[in-house]
Amino acid sequence: MTKLLQTIVDGLGVGSTYALLALGISLIFGVMHLVNFAHGELITVGAYTSYFFFLHGGSWWWMPVAIIGSAMLASVATELVAFRWVRNSSPFTLLLTSFAIERLSHALWQIFVSPKQRAFPKPSWVFNQFKIADVSFEVMDVVTIAVTAATLVLTAIVFKRTLFGLSVRGAAEDFDAARLMGVRANRVISGAFAFAGFLAGVAACLIIMRSPAAEPSMGADWLLKAVIAAVIGGLGSFTGAVVGGLVLGLLETLTRAYLPDLADGWDKFSTAVVFVLIAAFFVVRPDGVFKVSRAERV
Amino acid sequence: MAAPLWKLGRSTLASAALLAAVAAVAMAYTSGGGASRDSLISEMLSNFILVLGMQVFIGNTGVLSFGHMAFAQIASYATAVVAIPLAAKTKSLPDIPFGLESVQMGPLGATLFAVAVTTVAGAVFGVAVCRASGLAPTMITLAGLFVVDQVVKNWKELTRGAGGLSGVPRIEGNGWLWVGALIALVIAHLFQETRIGRFSIATREDELAAPALGIRLFTSRYAAWVLSVGLIALGGSLRAQSLGSVNPKQFTLDAGILILVMLVVGGMRTVSGAVLGTVLITAGNELFRQLGDPQRLGIERFPDLFLGGTMLLVMVLRPGGLLGDRDLAAWLRRRTYRRPATVEVEPPTATSALVAADVEVRFGGFVALDGAGLTVRPGEVVGLIGPNGAGKTTLFNVITGIVHEQGGRVTLGDRELTDSTPVDVARAGLARTFQNLRLFKNLSVRENVALTSLVAARHRRHRVRPQPDTLLADAGLLEFADRPAGTLDYGNQRRLELARAAALAPEFLLLDEPTSGMSDQESLAMVQSVRAVAARIGAGVLVIDHDLGFITRISDHIVVLNEGRVLAEGTPAEVRANPLVAEAYLGSSA
Repeated sequence: MTKLLQTIVDGLGVGSTYALLALGISLIFGVMHLVNFAHGELITVGAYTSYFFFLHGGSWWWMPVAIIGSAMLASVATELVAFRWVRNSSPFTLLLTSFAIERLSHALWQIFVSPKQRAFPKPSWVFNQFKIADVSFEVMDVVTIAVTAATLVLTAIVFKRTLFGLSVRGAAEDFDAARLMGVRANRVISGAFAFAGFLAGVAACLIIMRSPAAEPSMGADWLLKAVIAAVIGGLGSFTGAVVGGLVLGLLETLTRAYLPDLADGWDKFSTAVVFVLIAAFFVVRPDGVFKVSRAERV
Repeated sequence: MAAPLWKLGRSTLASAALLAAVAAVAMAYTSGGGASRDSLISEMLSNFILVLGMQVFIGNTGVLSFGHMAFAQIASYATAVVAIPLAAKTKSLPDIPFGLESVQMGPLGATLFAVAVTTVAGAVFGVAVCRASGLAPTMITLAGLFVVDQVVKNWKELTRGAGGLSGVPRIEGNGWLWVGALIALVIAHLFQETRIGRFSIATREDELAAPALGIRLFTSRYAAWVLSVGLIALGGSLRAQSLGSVNPKQFTLDAGILILVMLVVGGMRTVSGAVLGTVLITAGNELFRQLGDPQRLGIERFPDLFLGGTMLLVMVLRPGGLLGDRDLAAWLRRRTYRRPATVEVEPPTATSALVAADVEVRFGGFVALDGAGLTVRPGEVVGLIGPNGAGKTTLFNVITGIVHEQGGRVTLGDRELTDSTPVDVARAGLARTFQNLRLFKNLSVRENVALTSLVAARHRRHRVRPQPDTLLADAGLLEFADRPAGTLDYGNQRRLELARAAALAPEFLLLDEPTSGMSDQESLAMVQSVRAVAARIGAGVLVIDHDLGFITRISDHIVVLNEGRVLAEGTPAEVRANPLVAEAYLGSSA
């Protein structure tokens, strides 16, 4: 029972980070049909920003602001320098453009900083533990879940209550119609990139607090999981992204924790089992859990 | 019999020419001397086969796959476990399963074994990949890549884990790699000339229009997939034997993306593009690697800058790749195009009527069709009109199998079409056009029509089948036959779509707003075009349009829909005189 509870808390911790990243990917897909493989690089930007500030006497009191701010700026910048110029291209071209950005980002950090890992201090409380009725929790797990929950509530308010949120949702529904209603394409898309950057920035804070180090390709693994989570949920669906992230996180931790009990000697194949399940899921539901009907007029 | 030989000849000629060009570049480079230069050529040649393998699937179907490297990996390891000499094998893999401890094959045997094993694995996996649509196939291939990677790293009895296997007998020189490259080139060229290859290209151009013309997505994609995995296996196996070792680092996602960059930079749609991309990226990558060398700039992964920069520039400036649709083989095909002998057949008399009866469709709570129906008799032109939201397009989509009805039935003669798929509806003899033009834009005008003729040749044998060029001449498009369809002006694109539908030799043409966006004069001309085409193939016509003038001129019979029901029907004169119609269209005051 204790093990199950701890596994679930672990799973929710990882899963909520996936969810934040997946939400950004889904948001961008909604407004311009881009599956943004450069989204993970925003984590890297956040990490190098922290590294830079810690070199000059940074403090964790204000570091999250710097991380989130830099991720937002970087996100908007990628749209300005690259995605804007391929906006009406095929999804294939858009996706490969984001790949190009990802490659360039890896190369630039290596060239201008270092190919090696750069570490900096972590907040002192991160790995402190506390107990509730025999079950011990890490402070960071609780912080992760709480921060994610707060961010999701904020996201929901922005998209349900503000004019910006409504414009983005309208654009995701039908861009041409939204433009006719007076929604400005450039502003909505820049705004969507800024918000996706904000979400990635929050995720980056949670990731960096746990393992405070910057490395050129640190975003890649997170990105792949987040893309998978977003597609599991149904690209373009906000609820889907959150559900996809949590499900993926839980699936990973539960498989890792319980697979050895079920099948002896299979522990080393836990990742493979997760990916087999993912592939099987896409065979059964190619459009994800929450299918977003992009009713193409025929 | 002559046609396949002709295609083989053309493919071989194009392949030999491309390979000769590459060989000339390679010789100029290696004449500078040095073993490292030879090994760069080996690397380029094995990349070459891998890129062509990806081209066959990704380039022709337009479905992105990250999983191809997984099959290169399976092939490399399959080669290694049967090719490593027995003495070395007992040392490095003492617990090898499947009785492989006593198996040893020569280079040819090992290559064939690896290709066979990998292709079987690919054929099984491909069922999952090709059944899915949208982004799902890409995600499935990505998952496949990670599964294979983890299995290889952990199934130590068979693979020795992350360290990899060495001691694979190396093939001398680059001779076999050149042979492999030639085989891959001929196969990739030939596939684009085959019926199923051309169909998979059609599905790439438009996922919705292809099935509506009788082309099955799964079949054509699956054929491309299996062939593509076979080529990848050839590349993987030859690379293992050229390097003499295999390890998981050769098959990461990054390694796969490098191959993908080669494909898209040159132009994934054509074999010539794939060749150009491989040469440019292999050379550029090597140049940047040398520049980033510790003795020069000392930047370890300098090539990433080159790859990212090149890909970004190409995507922004030339999204179709450097060559786009320019292709040596396509050029040869145009030069050698022979007009097929026209076969005179008696115009057919269509004997079946198209009947839709009591059709009901609900989208959630909204009732789109509430018992609507219509009949189109053989050779008749029926116009379907009604105000916006009356359910015209929905009825159209029900008949063509895109939307499934909750009640009612659709029949063509004594053939039941209720709940059929778009492919079966098309093959049964209903060919449609689309409201917002869905041509195969990057393909030539002639190929647009010829693709449907190919479907007709198999599924519409009992009908008179007009030659593509006859239809193009009728539409006044013969002079543009070799131009990409997307470059035609709007009116000509409309006429091409009509000709493309007619090439299916259907019993009925279904036209969805053929005059939308046209001037009065153009829509008047459209009346003539539609009537001429219908007469040529002996087909009836069901046409939706907003343009009342057009509909009354073209139709023998008009059906008026309103709020999901048939409001009125009759001859154009009767319908025009009907007060209910005037009310629905113009409001009660009129």
